[in-house]
Amino acid sequence: MKGTNMRSRRIYGAIVMMCVLALTAFAGGKGELQKYFSNAAAKVKATDDPSEKRAILTNSFQTMSKALDMVQQSPSISKEDGVRIDLVKATLQEKQDELAGMNGYVRVPDAQLNAFSHYVVQDMEQADQMITISLVTLLLVIILIVLIV
Amino acid sequence: MRAPRSRTAVRGPYAKLVVSMCSAVLTAMLSSCSADLPVQRESQQADGHVLTGRYSIVCVIHGDGDYVYHDNDGSEYAADEKALAAVQQVAQRNPRADVFVFHQRPRSHVLFLFPLRDGDFYYYRDGKLVTELSYWRDQEQSRFDAEVELYRRFREDNLGEMMNVFLYCGHEIPEAGGVGYDASYPDRSFTVHDLAGRLEDFTRDSTRFDLVVLSTCFGGTPHTIGTLGPFARYIIASPDNLHLSYFDLHSLERLDVSVPGGDVLALAKQFAQHAFDRLTGDVQTAVSVAVYDVERTRDFVRSVRGMYDHALTTVSGETQASITTMEHCDCADIPAYVLPAINEGVDVFYRPARFGRLKHKQSHSGWECWRERAPRGAGSQITGGAGK
Repeated sequence: MKGTNMRSRRIYGAIVMMCVLALTAFAGGKGELQKYFSNAAAKVKATDDPSEKRAILTNSFQTMSKALDMVQQSPSISKEDGVRIDLVKATLQEKQDELAGMNGYVRVPDAQLNAFSHYVVQDMEQADQMITISLVTLLLVIILIVLIV
Repeated sequence: MRAPRSRTAVRGPYAKLVVSMCSAVLTAMLSSCSADLPVQRESQQADGHVLTGRYSIVCVIHGDGDYVYHDNDGSEYAADEKALAAVQQVAQRNPRADVFVFHQRPRSHVLFLFPLRDGDFYYYRDGKLVTELSYWRDQEQSRFDAEVELYRRFREDNLGEMMNVFLYCGHEIPEAGGVGYDASYPDRSFTVHDLAGRLEDFTRDSTRFDLVVLSTCFGGTPHTIGTLGPFARYIIASPDNLHLSYFDLHSLERLDVSVPGGDVLALAKQFAQHAFDRLTGDVQTAVSVAVYDVERTRDFVRSVRGMYDHALTTVSGETQASITTMEHCDCADIPAYVLPAINEGVDVFYRPARFGRLKHKQSHSGWECWRERAPRGAGSQITGGAGK
């Protein structure tokens, strides 16, 4: 009986948490997703250690990619959103490649990591795939990012 | 269900106060639903004698979408609000101008039920705010009916003697399709053809705008310039992406001092240079600002129309396929577009993105086209320049 109560509480807690996250995400809309990269850029700027800067950026790309993967597997996502998510993932991969100097990219120098983090913020704000992804899909991505982090 | 709730309210200690407050709120909300009473906050009259303006600026700010951006300190801004503040400053600092500002806002409701007006209009004359009111935007097709009606109500008759400027701030204006441009009206479409129709309405007496400024992404395409061309002498646009901080508008302040002789081309170049300098100081992504002398670009636009329309048909065809297969690019990167007239009538201010595939691209023709999406992978950082 006690175990059943605990499980109910956990389920109830999870539902409440999801509702809070959904409401927060809905209030911020697509801005929440942009804030994610902006926060990463702020962290990059706050540290002087280049390897730490790289780790912050790499982690932010990977977390976002993971969230996009999970959302893409959801049956509720439209085909168009699925295609757009693929493009966003490709854009993120290019940025990871440039950061690490892979796949034909010249590695971003240590002295330019702050500027690179701002570039990421601005490029993602401008990316038309990002702008045209439906709000529902973006909300799922935001919620998953919060849960993954 | 209604009766018990009503009884509870009446029995409460502040029943009369609550009822009267609710009545007042409901009355205010219901009256705001009335279509024939658009004026919510009526005018402050500019005092004294009104001079005949020598400049007229019409500005439409599209704010019904995702317009949030962050600066390098992480501060968050709403691009449309920033644009509104900037154009209001322009209006206040032009002692010899009529300035019409339309701010198209997202649709919103009180208590999820009562719709609020989704447009704000400001009319400045000679630096002073003459009228400020809220209005209903078009609820069906996006024809700017309300905006055109307000413009005609307040404009002066001597447009032909004034320098006329039109400014549009918003996301990329689709060249085809255009469904979903307004977040509040997802089924409604808005394209560059719709904007051209509205420019025609604003200039119904065949007076072209001297200068049209498109503060949007990808405004500098042969199709967009060709479509808006009949209604403008000069157009300023960004052929590539444009950061949401938009073009800096300071060059439009004190037009009576900066362009006393009415030299529109000089104003356009000055504006473009200033906007470019400001953007390159703040932005790591590509910056491109181009000035189009519409008459002189006509040959090029006409020459490439067939090719461009063909690409546009692909883009506007099956949505999914076009998303994955087509992308924007400099027209000069497509050999068929590199005609003798490609540089005619275009002044380009360009700086590539600081990072990314195109960071070594040294120039831009000023014309943006569509091409099949280039494959990514090894050696993908472009090292050469192209175009003008």
